Amino acid sequence: MQKLGDFKLPHFFNYPPYFTLQPVRDTREKQVQLWKDLILDYCKTQKIFVIGLEEDFALFSNPVIERSLSHEAREAFLSALVSEGRAEWLNKGHRKCLILWHRVQDWADIIFRFVKDNGLEDSVMTVEEIRSGIESRGTELHGIDRTILMRALRVLEQKGKLAIFKGTSADDEGVKFSM
Amino acid sequence: MRRRPGIGGLQTAAAARDQYRLVGENVAKIRTDMMKEQLATFRIQLEEFARKHKNDIRKNPAFRSQFHEMCAKVGVDPLASNKGFWAELLGIGDFYYELGVQIVEICLATRPHNGGLINLQELCILLRQRKSDREAVSEDDCLRAISKLKVLGSGFEVISVGKKKLVRSVPTELNKDHNEILELAQAQGFVTVEEVERRLSWTSGRAIDALDTLLDEGLAMIDDGHRDRKRRYWFPCVSSNSTPVADT
Repeated sequence: MQKLGDFKLPHFFNYPPYFTLQPVRDTREKQVQLWKDLILDYCKTQKIFVIGLEEDFALFSNPVIERSLSHEAREAFLSALVSEGRAEWLNKGHRKCLILWHRVQDWADIIFRFVKDNGLEDSVMTVEEIRSGIESRGTELHGIDRTILMRALRVLEQKGKLAIFKGTSADDEGVKFSM
Repeated sequence: MRRRPGIGGLQTAAAARDQYRLVGENVAKIRTDMMKEQLATFRIQLEEFARKHKNDIRKNPAFRSQFHEMCAKVGVDPLASNKGFWAELLGIGDFYYELGVQIVEICLATRPHNGGLINLQELCILLRQRKSDREAVSEDDCLRAISKLKVLGSGFEVISVGKKKLVRSVPTELNKDHNEILELAQAQGFVTVEEVERRLSWTSGRAIDALDTLLDEGLAMIDDGHRDRKRRYWFPCVSSNSTPVADT
């Protein structure tokens, strides 16, 4: 099986026609499903949160079989993820895509557990500390995309589990947990 | 016995004929009885053999195949019914029944990829991957299981294309043109319109028609990514998925 670093690539990745958008509906549906799963899987294991359509994202081409996804194909697969709520376009031009390999709600649950596990129920942390502090090491929160983190925090804020406030320094926000 | 002239002689001859006929019938009966007995003995010995070699029959596909041949010669079909001596002793009926179910599952699962046509070799590989108790499965076993499926009217069929056998699990009928394209595709896993025209001496229209039908049926996929810009029609059912494909 071919690998990309540590990641095991599925068989279809080596089959040239999968790199061309299929015209027949049933075949296309199967193709889209395979690519959606692959993208989510890969992003999750590599902790990739944003995909730029015109950038060199590893999955967009396979040098072994000399095939690359056209811009149209890339957009089609990512749009499918967006429709499913597993991704969001970051701008109108559909050039950058935020990948939600965990949904925002899942991230909220992860933060909740993180706070409980570390006994932080009544404490205060900066947003940056949540994603890169010592406690975050070895957890999924480490290195999380800031946009996604803020969304998840707001979900918890809506439920009254925490409060977000502007920090003393100009560039960071703080969180007061009350779980 | 000396023939004696006169009525007495005729009566003797008639009596003699009757006697010969009786003997003849007896001989025929004895022969039939002997044969029945031989056959019964043979059947008993076959059953004995099956009992003794039950494990080998279950574990070894080559042995199993030869066993089937032996049974066929004697007019015994271990698969004929799920009840009775053979099924109970060997569980052979179950073996093929389970195999049939797995074949159906695999065909359904791979249908989105290959359009309902799968290479027999690939089917066997996938079957062996699934079998948790590591009983070997041969192509012969697959063919037997599929022929049983056919009897159930499930629409399964084995077709020959060139040197390969394909298992069809959809009602799609392949005509001769389609078959020829599939055969052509076996070499590299794909064809181009140009190639079809050239090698089969068809008009462009005929080639495109056939290829489009195969595309619509889900048996082919298009590939526009080659640097020579020629569209390729790939056929998942003729290539093995386990080997990476690269064509220059």
